[in-house]
Amino acid sequence: MPDTSPKSRTLPRTGIKASALTFAVLTLCGLLAGCGAGTSGSAGDKVELQFSWWGNADRAAATNEAVDLFERRHPNIEVQTSFSSYNSYIQKLATQAAGGNAPDVMQLDYRQISQYASSGLLLPLGDRPEVSTEKVGSGMLRTGQVRGTQYAIPMGRTSQVLVYDSAEWQRAGVSEPRLDWTWQDWSAAMRELNENTDQAGSTDPGWSEDWFEVWLRGRGKSLYTDSGELGFDKSDLAKFWSFTNELSQRGAVSPARQTTQIDGSAANMPFGRGNAASGITWDSAVGGFQALIGDSLRLAPLPSGPDGTPGQYFKPSMLVGVSANSPHPEEAAQLVDFLINDPKAGDVLGVSRGMPVNQDIRENITPSLSGLDERIADFQQRLEGKLLDPPSAPPAGDLALQTTFQRDYDHVGFELRSPRRMAEQFLTSVRSELQP
Amino acid sequence: MNVEAPDQRLSEKPGVERPAGAPKTEGTRRKGKREGAAWVFLSPWLLGAAVLTLTPMLASLYLSFTEYDLFTAPKWVGLDNYVHMFTQDPRYWRSAVNTLVYVLVAVPLQLAFALAAALALNSIGRGKGFYRSAFYAPSLLGASMSIALVWRALFNDGGTVDDLLSSIGVNMGGWVNQPGWALLVVALLTIWQFGAPMVIFLAGLQQVPGELYEAAEVDGAGRLRRFRSVTLPMLSPVLFFNLVLQTIQAFQVFTPAFTVSGGRGGPADSTLFYTLYLYDRGFTASHMGYAAAMAWVLLVVIGIVTALLFRSSRSWVFYNDKG
Repeated sequence: MPDTSPKSRTLPRTGIKASALTFAVLTLCGLLAGCGAGTSGSAGDKVELQFSWWGNADRAAATNEAVDLFERRHPNIEVQTSFSSYNSYIQKLATQAAGGNAPDVMQLDYRQISQYASSGLLLPLGDRPEVSTEKVGSGMLRTGQVRGTQYAIPMGRTSQVLVYDSAEWQRAGVSEPRLDWTWQDWSAAMRELNENTDQAGSTDPGWSEDWFEVWLRGRGKSLYTDSGELGFDKSDLAKFWSFTNELSQRGAVSPARQTTQIDGSAANMPFGRGNAASGITWDSAVGGFQALIGDSLRLAPLPSGPDGTPGQYFKPSMLVGVSANSPHPEEAAQLVDFLINDPKAGDVLGVSRGMPVNQDIRENITPSLSGLDERIADFQQRLEGKLLDPPSAPPAGDLALQTTFQRDYDHVGFELRSPRRMAEQFLTSVRSELQP
Repeated sequence: MNVEAPDQRLSEKPGVERPAGAPKTEGTRRKGKREGAAWVFLSPWLLGAAVLTLTPMLASLYLSFTEYDLFTAPKWVGLDNYVHMFTQDPRYWRSAVNTLVYVLVAVPLQLAFALAAALALNSIGRGKGFYRSAFYAPSLLGASMSIALVWRALFNDGGTVDDLLSSIGVNMGGWVNQPGWALLVVALLTIWQFGAPMVIFLAGLQQVPGELYEAAEVDGAGRLRRFRSVTLPMLSPVLFFNLVLQTIQAFQVFTPAFTVSGGRGGPADSTLFYTLYLYDRGFTASHMGYAAAMAWVLLVVIGIVTALLFRSSRSWVFYNDKG
């Protein structure tokens, strides 16, 4: 190409060189993303901590307020916070952790910690003097342990719950759930609701591993044993799916084309959409239904096993852990302790992460709760002392099995495969996911 | 796409380092200087290609022979991922079949719509600009997440389409939530975005020499005959181009299925497309090695299909200059 521009000829070559260099440096910077941002070093004399979590705007406001308090208490520490929705958070954190850039303090899910801990990404917190766990119940505390080592501390607790529209149930003449009702009572109620209201009694619980777990525990079994092996066999799952699917086919619980749309959000649950008289969820997620159903929303425990064994349990709604690579483990541990144990932080955080695990804080804030929060606190109060200890953290591959479970049940619901056949297929997936 | 090497001579002079202040009049030096500038301006692209494309590709090729969960170091497993994929993973085959069905449904229909629209627009006199942009708009919007969400809402249980059908007595109970129909809804979303091939067809149509039509008319050819004997052959290179492009794109369909099915490829795996399953393996199940192996198989398959299309083109694509 002929050089037609007279200007380019007179451009000083040092200029070209300089701009080329700038360009190259900028490009490299962009590529490596290592310039300026992302380093959790110290700003001046201050120690800088990264703290990230998933959640919504309400939780963000509460968290930032608590972090401000912490910074005032520790003028030498500055905390950078960031948050996003659950799904993108999980993926972002995995990528950061893989690159060795995990935030110093991170909110973790029950189903994440095994993987993170066994990969050496989490700092053992049990022997850190900065973190006190006295006020966290021992059963709850155990959920943050992997092979006996405390890697994460629960931040809040939640439990499985049956949410229902009491007005609807009364109209249908169905007596409201009792504390010790069994799955048999439940299915009778579902049928009665269906006959008297012309809609499904409940969301079909067959879609989720979480509700299967409650059913299993009611029969004295578990999803996983303490050593991370499978705690049930093919016939258990086949029995559960036959039970739920039969109810679904006769209309007592939601039909497959509604069940398949469930994604955890209240708006996509048959109960939330007004297609069923009740739903099964976590008590930390009840808020979404309150907006859709209104004041007649009530909470009840999930049914227990045939002999009254309760299947549900207190689960950590989320945990908090410290990165093993953090350059400031001491300060990070201080922040963890503050979030869990500080009374002022407890006031500010409220129930934004579920009911606080710290017993004192829980008792402190309970009187000030109102509306739905009060009802959730009540609900948990009623269960106190009646439930069995939570299972220890599920093994690493379980996150993938959750989605597999729903997909497999789809095939049962649409009558493409028998419950037995799909149970078999699910166990094949389990075996390939849980292999070390 | 066809980027030629800037200059053969450059490779003989590695380093591109030359003394400063070269006089303007000196031929070879000036050329060198311009070559230097060329390298400088190319460098972002070269760097990008090397660092952002080539390196990840090689890394993914390596990873496809490993078991890699992102957290611990990749473990070499040889061909295990490939073997497992082909022999022990029914869901893999399900995703492959879904994708194939989708390609076979969506691509021909999309091209047919694009061609029909282009023909109609080509003969329109007034308001040409308006109609062209109106038909093109879905292509601009359609790739976005938000339109896919709207689509899902439209075809959902109790959605607009469902309500309309109910009002005329067809009670479907939703489209996206039934295994037999969900794939069709996703395909419809793609077909609806026929704007890009349409614009290319329009450009092609305007290249067809008017004399040919006049001659055909003189010979007594009707409209259909003129379309078959003049328009189609003259348009065949453009048709071929669109076919190749849309086929390659269709194999990689992701966003609409991901959004319409809520990320799971449901109901009952009916919209579990190849890339969706790949994403699931990599990011949900943390089997990055397996996902990388899937990606490479997809690359090879797309390569083969494209090669087959090129081979078939010899018998049906007519290039004017061949005489």
